[in-house]
Amino acid sequence: MLARRADIVGLGALAVSASCLVALGTGWFQGTLNALVVLLLLIVVVGVLVLAAFGGPEARRLLAPYGLMKPGLLWMALFFLAPVWSLVRISLSTKESRFSVRYEFNWAWENYSRAFSDFGGQFQRAFLYSFIATILTIVIGYPIAYVIAFRGGRFKNFLLGLVVIPFFTSYLIRTIAWSTILADQGPLVSVLNKLGLVNVFEWLHIMDNGKLLNTPAAVIGGLTYNFLPFMLLPIYVSLEKIDQNLVNAAKDLYSTPTVAFRKVVLPLSIPGVFAGTLLTFIPAAGDFVNAQFLGNPNTTMIGNSIQDQFLRQNNYPVASAMSTVLMVSITALVLLYTKFFGTEKLV
Amino acid sequence: MNSLRSRIARISLNVFAGLGLVYLFTPIFFIVLFSFNKPKGNYNIVWQEFTFDNWLDPFSQSSLTAALWTSLRISAAATLISTIFGSLIALALSRRAFKGSSVINLLLVLPLTTPEIVLGSSLATLFLNQTFVDFGSITVMIAHVMFQVSFVALTVRARIRGFDWTLEQAAADLGAKPWRTFRYVTFPLILPGVLAASLLAFALSIDDFIITFFNSGSTVTFPLQIYGAARVRIPPQINVLASMVLFFSVALLVLGTLSGQRSEAVKALKRSKDK
Amino acid sequence: MNKRHKTSRTPTNPWTRREFLIRSGALGVAGISLPALLAACGGGGGGSNALLFDNWPLYIDPSEDGLVGSVERFAAASGVDMSYVESYNDNDEYFAKIQPLLGADKRIEPDLIAPTFWMAGRLINLGWVDKLPLDKVPNKSNLEDNYVKPPWDPTGEYSLPWQAGTAGIAYNIDVTGRELKSTSELFDPAFKGKIGMLTEMRDTMGLILMSEGIDITTISSFEEAASAFEILERAKADGQIRAFTGNDYIDDLVSGNYAACVGWSGDVLQLGKDSPNIRFVVPEEGGTLWADVMVMPKGTENTDAVAKWLDFVYDPEQAAQITSYVQYFSPVKGVQEEVAKIDPELAENPLVFPDSATASRLKSWANLSEDVDAQFADAFSAIIGA
Repeated sequence: MLARRADIVGLGALAVSASCLVALGTGWFQGTLNALVVLLLLIVVVGVLVLAAFGGPEARRLLAPYGLMKPGLLWMALFFLAPVWSLVRISLSTKESRFSVRYEFNWAWENYSRAFSDFGGQFQRAFLYSFIATILTIVIGYPIAYVIAFRGGRFKNFLLGLVVIPFFTSYLIRTIAWSTILADQGPLVSVLNKLGLVNVFEWLHIMDNGKLLNTPAAVIGGLTYNFLPFMLLPIYVSLEKIDQNLVNAAKDLYSTPTVAFRKVVLPLSIPGVFAGTLLTFIPAAGDFVNAQFLGNPNTTMIGNSIQDQFLRQNNYPVASAMSTVLMVSITALVLLYTKFFGTEKLV
Repeated sequence: MNSLRSRIARISLNVFAGLGLVYLFTPIFFIVLFSFNKPKGNYNIVWQEFTFDNWLDPFSQSSLTAALWTSLRISAAATLISTIFGSLIALALSRRAFKGSSVINLLLVLPLTTPEIVLGSSLATLFLNQTFVDFGSITVMIAHVMFQVSFVALTVRARIRGFDWTLEQAAADLGAKPWRTFRYVTFPLILPGVLAASLLAFALSIDDFIITFFNSGSTVTFPLQIYGAARVRIPPQINVLASMVLFFSVALLVLGTLSGQRSEAVKALKRSKDK
Repeated sequence: MNKRHKTSRTPTNPWTRREFLIRSGALGVAGISLPALLAACGGGGGGSNALLFDNWPLYIDPSEDGLVGSVERFAAASGVDMSYVESYNDNDEYFAKIQPLLGADKRIEPDLIAPTFWMAGRLINLGWVDKLPLDKVPNKSNLEDNYVKPPWDPTGEYSLPWQAGTAGIAYNIDVTGRELKSTSELFDPAFKGKIGMLTEMRDTMGLILMSEGIDITTISSFEEAASAFEILERAKADGQIRAFTGNDYIDDLVSGNYAACVGWSGDVLQLGKDSPNIRFVVPEEGGTLWADVMVMPKGTENTDAVAKWLDFVYDPEQAAQITSYVQYFSPVKGVQEEVAKIDPELAENPLVFPDSATASRLKSWANLSEDVDAQFADAFSAIIGA
């Protein structure tokens, strides 16, 4: 009986919050009624938390976990697993006609061959650009995290906050701001001109024909900037955990700070770098915003192609095939990466 | 010699970190600067002249304000739902191992290791194939909850990992009713983690562009409004609203640091008195 | 708001009819005007008295600087509860958005949208738009002759043009250092990486085709256009083209990122005297002539309000207000005379009211069959590389 109760709690929470969700989302209610719905939701929540945590000593011990997880997991099943299924299905389907909204599932592998033949370059660029950007975030993020963690003193939290604050402004606004900074007659190019560094930058292939904006470097730079906190924060967390006494002892033993860093700090911070790499590389590989605002027609990434095929060309099968390939290759990379770096937990 | 070298290394590292901070704030500087620009014609891309006009009238762009409200409405609802779901999962996961917990861990991590564009496009294929709900604010909210749940569950779990569950048992042994145990033992212990997680989830939701873009239909959230505006003209009011958010968070940070230092100072004072 | 525009719309004689109209309009916005009351009483049939028009951005005269915009004037004069949104940014993108709904026999929110002619043709063929309530639009008689029963709408029952215009070359003379005359100059290596093209296939390809001497008014197969697509492909691969954009090309042009690009006449004219360095030219090989047309998505209920709106904007006096702001070609007869009363200089501008020399260089696209259209669209999207 108690076993059933835990189930009912989970299910009830799902039903009520789902209906509240429908009500809020479709705007059935306005003003105070809307607030009442939110309130109802809150009441259900608190009630569920109480009931679930205290179903009864024995039954709870066995059943509570399942009951507690039910709503969240049902949601994930419905809106994460089911979509992946439908994505793969559409990627193997054919449109009935050019403007049809109906699809026939017929093992249409040609969508995949089109994805590779027409968009191979975009796949390559997506992986190349996000790989370089990931390396750059380590190069830039690690020293900053190091300085804050070991030399921040009482300003540690303040400095950490300072690092995070730029990312409180919208992602798109930040990227668009970069397009202003990098513009041909923008501040950065004119500074480089004055310093006579343009030739150096051209030689480094960072600038192209006097341009900074709309180059591969700009796209990679945008990715680096936008995903930097995803690298910096995990590194900081792992550095912060390091016992300062350990570092001091190492310095005594190895005498030079460089060796102490290499033998003690670096190995201990690897889990942070590891997590940061995944958190940076994965979103960067699927991004289309940076390539759109900072790139040119020869720097498009797979995200741009998926977006264009899906939201402009109505070519859902090919777009889905590209999405599926991206998903599978990222998953494979993650598995390889975890194998290579041992079996540390991802998060 | 050695100490000179290490001092140089030390200083150059600090300088590098300082430059890193400058780099982080460069675009922010331009965003704030252009919120004070008086654009010629419709295009706020070239610096013209200084004005307070945009700040005096930040809500003059009705479509922008409407989009902001839409975003707030969707994100508030999505955050509420995902906080509940995620915290419940975290509570369940953090007590003891049970059958299937490894599969559940994997399921929780998967949305984080899937690019947003795959999440967005796959969800859109799901919505395309049914007739219950049209693309709009409801599909956006569903999408947001989907990726928020993972973040909330993992954040809360990390925060309550060290929780001593025997405290609950102790409370029960001392005769506390389950409700009281939850109210006075469990809830206060998990609350900071839950709050932190919901803040994170809200921040992720309100700024989400890619997943929203695929599932929005004709609903326009704040990031979508910016995207639309970027293809025509970016009114300075966008910069004003962005700067407001920025200043607000800087103020919070400064206040937090100051109060933190004060409490530390108070503690230090107490310690010296105790001695 | 540019200066050209300000001077043009500030009346010299304070009591012209136009001024009177604006003032009475303003009165209507402030309170309730008599016509609004009458209209509210005289309802019946044709849905509720509301209207939602989803149009391209910056495509109507707004209320600003004490002048009352067309939407407000209409609302005051007709009593219709009008909502005007500007979310029509791109033909393909809009189509992709409405396709899941209209394709499943569901309604979309707007009562009126303004797709470009070829997209209107597609919507008409798919049966996704309703016949306009033309019997309630007496002013439709003011429609310019060349838009009566146009190729995209052979019966003339489904669409009425909103504005027309031309795609030509827009350039920033500070960057180019010289006047441009011809489409072929877009491929000048001196401008490498500083050339913009439109994502609107018919405008970008139209110019290139004409510069290759291919007649777009009669084109009927993809093979005829293959060489022009090769030119575009090569220019893109060489890095000649900086970006393919929609409306946002103006940003890049003004900020100097573009030396030149394919652009739309009215956009450049709207910049006016504030940006004298931005010029527009109809290339000597020819420019495309296009029209954005108003259609009613299937299932629209507010047909009476739609009729009132169509009648309103086909009144030459009202159409002149729109033209003097957007500075595109008006499809309404008698607008030039009305504009002359407001802004004589604008009435003489051949880029707003084409003279015969300009008109002879403007060509409109043949109606492509669906298969051919698909070939063009696929080839183009493959090149723009998204």
